[in-house]
Amino acid sequence: MLVSLDPTDARPLYLQIMDEVRRALVVGTLRPEDPVPSVRDLASQLVVNPRTVSQAYHELEREGVLYVRRGQGTFVAAAARSDRRTLGRKVAKRAVLDARRNGLGVEELIATIREIAAKEDRRPAVPASTTTRGDNR
Amino acid sequence: MTAHAVATRGLTKRYGRDTALDRVDLQVPDGAVFVLIGANGAGKSTTFRLLMNLERPDEGAAEILGLDTASRGPEARAQVGYVPERLDHSYGWMTCARLLQHVSTYYAAWDFGYADHLSKTFALRLDRRVGTLSKGESRRLQLVLALAHRPPVLLLDEPTDGLDLAMRTRALSLLAEHLADTPATVLMSTHQIHEVDGLADHMGVLRDGRLVAQMSRDEIQRTVRRYRAEVPELWQAPPDLQAGGVRSSTRREMQWTLIGDERAVVERLTQAGALVREVSAMTLEAAALALLTQDVTR
Repeated sequence: MLVSLDPTDARPLYLQIMDEVRRALVVGTLRPEDPVPSVRDLASQLVVNPRTVSQAYHELEREGVLYVRRGQGTFVAAAARSDRRTLGRKVAKRAVLDARRNGLGVEELIATIREIAAKEDRRPAVPASTTTRGDNR
Repeated sequence: MTAHAVATRGLTKRYGRDTALDRVDLQVPDGAVFVLIGANGAGKSTTFRLLMNLERPDEGAAEILGLDTASRGPEARAQVGYVPERLDHSYGWMTCARLLQHVSTYYAAWDFGYADHLSKTFALRLDRRVGTLSKGESRRLQLVLALAHRPPVLLLDEPTDGLDLAMRTRALSLLAEHLADTPATVLMSTHQIHEVDGLADHMGVLRDGRLVAQMSRDEIQRTVRRYRAEVPELWQAPPDLQAGGVRSSTRREMQWTLIGDERAVVERLTQAGALVREVSAMTLEAAALALLTQDVTR
């Protein structure tokens, strides 16, 4: 799993880390029973407070996404489903807030999204990094 | 006595007629990574020197892990890893290896394996004489000396100052690893606030020797926010909203960074005739800038 944080994102870091784990599950780079990086390694890699990583992992544990194997580390729970709904809601919320800030109505936004998506679909080469694995559609 | 690993009460230091520190009540919670910011000369380094009992306060007192730094200085210092603003050159004739060995004898908890690991990570040339080190090398040596005995309190006065970009990142990654292995309370000063955005969970702001704010990250997130609003064209901001405000070129839109409870601020803006369009949280650096220049109004 690759975690990257956006330095301009002002949301609490533990939430950003949680979202990155959720995203990895949806995209499929993280699957049930996979290990996640240790608190120490992720803290070092992201230059964040180890407590922040612990907090993110604890929350995900509470949600049943991760579990701890005593002495072995933290793993993705077998029952962890890729939570497309939660992720989708977050993406949508960001879009709605952005639209509102730009003075656009929701209907206007949705129509434009459809228009752009249709155009994108007609494009032959979508960069590999943005395609989702075969479990969608 | 308290849940504060580092605490000062009315700490005051004068140099002649200049007041370097003015009744500072600093409270660093146990286990916090507390970042102290302020302009040059605001009193950051003076705070560190007083905590290390390298200078005596004119008034007030300081404690480290409940130990009074004036009456029990050596005991308090034994609990601390300190990176000073400037390197003490009294050991200039020693090689780095010799200095490491010398300092290790002062600490029962000195971890030789860890000291080696740190020296390698920082690419220290152990055969060099301390007096011939560059600023960056001195700083790296100081970091090894401060961390190798795994003290419960770290006092880091601009720990990345003088380091190049790659080394700064390495030093801060190492600090994150260190804290994962060895829980500690950190009080650090820096001008590079963006660098410690991920590490800091508390921030204190010194202005002209006064501690004008000290807050947890949550508190900063909640109370320092950016407000964008539409305003009538010839709108006059009420006096209490003039600070921190920027008007758009068309004069129909204004943006403020304001410190205070969000609901109260929105109400104040609304009552003044502004239509608040957006309220957003800020990065630590942007919040720091607001705290450095504005007074906290509650």
